[in-house]
Amino acid sequence: MARLSLRNLVKRYGQTEAVRGIDLDVADGEFIVLVGPSGCGKSTTLRMIAGLESVTAGTLTIGDRVVNTVEPKDRDIAMVFQNYALYPHMSVYRNMAFGLRAAKRPADEIDRKVRQAAEMLGLTPLLERRPHELSGGQRQRVSMGRAIVRDPQVFLFDEPLSNLDAQLRGQVRTEIKRLHQAIGTTIVYVTHDQVEAMTLADRIVIMRDGRIEQVGTPLEVFHRPRTQFVASFIGTPTMNLIPIPVIRIDGQPALRLEAQVGASPLVIPVTGARAGALEGHAGVTVGLRPDDLRVLPASAATDQALQGSVVIAEPLGPTTQITVSSHGLDLVGMGDGHFLPKAGERVTLTFDPETLHFFGPDGARLGA
Amino acid sequence: MTIERKLALQAWIFLALPVLFFCLIRFYPALESFGIAFSEWNLLSPPKYVGLANFNRMVGDPVFWIAFRNTFLYLAIGTPLSLLLAFLVAYHLDQVRFAHGLIRACYFIPHLTSAVAMAWVWRWFYQPPPVGLFNNLLNAGGLDTQPFLRSTTQALPAVLAPAIWAGLGFQIVLFMAGLRAIPSSYYEAARIDGAGRWMVLREITIPLLRPTIVFLVVISSIGFLRIFDTVYNMTDNGAGGPLNSSKPLVLYIYESAFRSYQMGYAAAQTIVFFLILLAVSLIQLRLMRTR
Repeated sequence: MARLSLRNLVKRYGQTEAVRGIDLDVADGEFIVLVGPSGCGKSTTLRMIAGLESVTAGTLTIGDRVVNTVEPKDRDIAMVFQNYALYPHMSVYRNMAFGLRAAKRPADEIDRKVRQAAEMLGLTPLLERRPHELSGGQRQRVSMGRAIVRDPQVFLFDEPLSNLDAQLRGQVRTEIKRLHQAIGTTIVYVTHDQVEAMTLADRIVIMRDGRIEQVGTPLEVFHRPRTQFVASFIGTPTMNLIPIPVIRIDGQPALRLEAQVGASPLVIPVTGARAGALEGHAGVTVGLRPDDLRVLPASAATDQALQGSVVIAEPLGPTTQITVSSHGLDLVGMGDGHFLPKAGERVTLTFDPETLHFFGPDGARLGA
Repeated sequence: MTIERKLALQAWIFLALPVLFFCLIRFYPALESFGIAFSEWNLLSPPKYVGLANFNRMVGDPVFWIAFRNTFLYLAIGTPLSLLLAFLVAYHLDQVRFAHGLIRACYFIPHLTSAVAMAWVWRWFYQPPPVGLFNNLLNAGGLDTQPFLRSTTQALPAVLAPAIWAGLGFQIVLFMAGLRAIPSSYYEAARIDGAGRWMVLREITIPLLRPTIVFLVVISSIGFLRIFDTVYNMTDNGAGGPLNSSKPLVLYIYESAFRSYQMGYAAAQTIVFFLILLAVSLIQLRLMRTR
């Protein structure tokens, strides 16, 4: 187990900068998930930590040792690959023993460690099988077993679930989390799937264009996204983002959502500490999570309500996800699971102004 | 007619021509030669049944046994040597980015070149000084002139060299395709595990190249067993000399048939040769396919 720290880490391929100077401190035993769209530099960062890519600039420290130019094998790390990288011509046992044999450990130690790891992962009955005789989930466990036997200070996972079908993904996700609780090793985990990131991480690192957008616990990044990008990346369905001009009513800022012909505009007063955040802005982008936007039958009249017509209603069981056309926008909201309006039906949308997120023109969060 | 029937019919229409071709041009003469093997026939007078006489003669024919031995020398030296060279070149070429395509093309060109033209160029290489390139190089380096094609001990390897060289390009391209097909994550995993170059080669690269190796061993073995054109074009009068020292079985069959007009004897040798090819191929497939 060890701390891991990245200081102003840069990776350049010729002219292109894949990682543009990132800083990150990972605590001992922490489960960190790097998440972001493809090309954001998350995999490159992981591969630099592994030593599979050289570091262009900056410092990479594992434990108390700067490892910028240390060979991968001497970094005391283990990596689980997206395609598992299990050698097809070797049995599960030989696959798991490979690293220890490479390190020239004595045979009895290899045997003990492999059997111990196999026991822990429920692989004992499969030790003599070949990878092609295993299911996707079992292969994933073997690749974890191969990492465990080396007893590394840091585990690196490179999109380990993306080759599994949806149902298995949930199962293996649980297994990875349980493994982390059992052995408590520091884990750096890369994924493009924000659900994986939310469910697994102690802290999530959201990356974009080679930079870190936000580092925080899953709840922090969900409830207080620091940028518009993070707000739209984390959470399904995606947050509604609405550009709205800021007006003033009695000296207080307010938001005015223009209506289409024949309807009245909606004015949302902003009060308290949040009002200060809007000072000096002619317009903001308002973020509203679909879960915070309630869709009700048209008959239910409330304050702070928008009127609109249903574009599509998708029943999810406990709730219904409803896309509503209102004020010239397509907004996604949630209705009761038994409420299944037809396309074109009029509905009422309501929300608590406190749940709104404000983002400035540069995409940065405004206010707390 | 159902759609399946229609498709099947269409398929058979397309298959009919090659099937017909194979039956008439390949299989029928091949089967016929089994009959000829038990006869005496000089192409002019009608064939006469002689039982096993041709096979008896073969057993007592010293030239047959020399050709037999030479054929196995071509196989036993040519196959492993060409595969080893091809693998070494492919393995290193795979790691070269600079002028990769050009280098690969250089290795592949001999494969596209006419075997006859190539044989004659090599024949010139082997000439005594001041004509032959190799002897000029040897002399320039202060070494003795070598007889090459004029020596009973050097002729066979001298003929084998261009044959290996000609096949190299094809084998390299296949080895490179095989190497490229190995996922890079295997090597990365091995690197993290700290496996050395030799361990990676022995435990990952070569086992994963097994299908390529099996294919190449079988194809090149058959190729060296059937060696003919290089020998025919590089030796005096195409006789596989000097003193039969480079004569392979196929050349001896050709001589028996079209120089001595002993069709029966040639056919008998062909059958023996066919059985050898069959046995070698089957043994290799069995050996390499297991595990």
